[in-house]
Amino acid sequence: MTFNEIMNSPLLYGLVGAGIIYILIFCALTFRKAYGHALEIGMSKEKLRSVMVSTAIYSIVPSLSIVVGLFSLATVIGVPWAWFRLSVVGAVAYEVTAADMAATGAGYESIAALNAAGDTSIIGTLMFVMSIGIMGGMVGVLLFGKKIQEGVASARSKNGMLGALLTSVLSMAIIEALLPLQMIKGPVYLAVAFTALVLTFLQRQFVRITGLKWYRSFIMAVTLILGMASSLFWVQIL
Amino acid sequence: MDEKYEKSIHRLGRIGVIVGILFMLGIPAVVSAVYDVWPESFGQLLAVGAGLLAVYIPTNVSEVFGYTPILGSASYITFLTGNVTQLKIPVVVNAQALAEAAQGTDEGDTVAAISVAVSSAVTTLVIVAGVILLVPLRPVLTSPTVQTATTYLLPALFGGLFLNYVNDNCGEYRAKNKTLTLIVPILAVLLVNQFYPLSGKQGYVVIGCMALSVACAYVLYKTGIIKMSEKKKG
Repeated sequence: MTFNEIMNSPLLYGLVGAGIIYILIFCALTFRKAYGHALEIGMSKEKLRSVMVSTAIYSIVPSLSIVVGLFSLATVIGVPWAWFRLSVVGAVAYEVTAADMAATGAGYESIAALNAAGDTSIIGTLMFVMSIGIMGGMVGVLLFGKKIQEGVASARSKNGMLGALLTSVLSMAIIEALLPLQMIKGPVYLAVAFTALVLTFLQRQFVRITGLKWYRSFIMAVTLILGMASSLFWVQIL
Repeated sequence: MDEKYEKSIHRLGRIGVIVGILFMLGIPAVVSAVYDVWPESFGQLLAVGAGLLAVYIPTNVSEVFGYTPILGSASYITFLTGNVTQLKIPVVVNAQALAEAAQGTDEGDTVAAISVAVSSAVTTLVIVAGVILLVPLRPVLTSPTVQTATTYLLPALFGGLFLNYVNDNCGEYRAKNKTLTLIVPILAVLLVNQFYPLSGKQGYVVIGCMALSVACAYVLYKTGIIKMSEKKKG
């Protein structure tokens, strides 16, 4: 069998299918437990529905970008393994880099060259290396996840107002770190970020003026689509 | 936080991640056994993967320390299903803003777990649809227009997310002027990046920004610029 035949074999499709079903079951179990607890602590069904609808709608667009990555990854490592890698842990940038580093480590010029050579002997190494290389986060969260969360909760509860303030600003680090790093990539990146900010502001004003609270669930998704679409305009003029 | 729930959600998360790891290693093992394509030796695995491990293990671990305070018990499902920066973190921030729940509280943690579970399921199903529709979708999703638009996913995402941070919400309290905390860390990132490129080091930058945010909030609180008050009940 060739490299491509093994990497697109029914066996691999079956194994990956089982893995995907497992992920969906894990999502369902986590959801059920958290949703039940949310009702127990008095959160309203309406608020939770708003969160779920907004999350589901918003998640579609970034997921489509993952599908775009799937197409490029599938051409070099086959459909099922690319499918699994992008559904479990992986992100497109990592997977392409990981596959390429595994191929070059085995003496090939690139993952495309390995695929073209059809060398099956490296398949086990490639798959193991791609899996092990990304496990740091999973092992890290197993070891430290609970302790970190307990640390944050305890800092919050023990220090009254100040504790509440200091723990609430932790999440600001995301925008403080990641927004400027995007904006400095170039004028189009800056323009797209600013466009998205203005779009969010306008939609929030729309909700405030019209009182259409249900629309709040759509703000993120609409901003993302229009913000990305605005890049087509900005690349022409900047 | 409810101890019973906390224990059970962490137990579920840990079991979930361990089973996920078994799948990640089990699939290559079964393929290797059936097609006799095992790695030649552990040494070969190490030789091929050393560069990858050297780059990604510190990055992954820094992400655990940077993102877990925000994700709470949702960290397990987040790190198992991936796409942390571009999908799970924004989803949690958006969900907590919609529910007006702060992280470190029972509500904030529960909303994070709900939103990541929903988001992960949606992503998984979208990718399944992508696999099924691989042939008809390919020309559309790989067209230059879509390729250009997807290149700018992250600036659109973080630009849109910015206003979620412009609020006084602090769980059971209001923190007037809390937004001012953003200024120094953002300027620091821009300044440091001039001398030392930070691209690809997001995990470390997030940890640095957390420390700086806490320091700024502390100073602003002590100098009376940030004013805390209890939210009115009901």
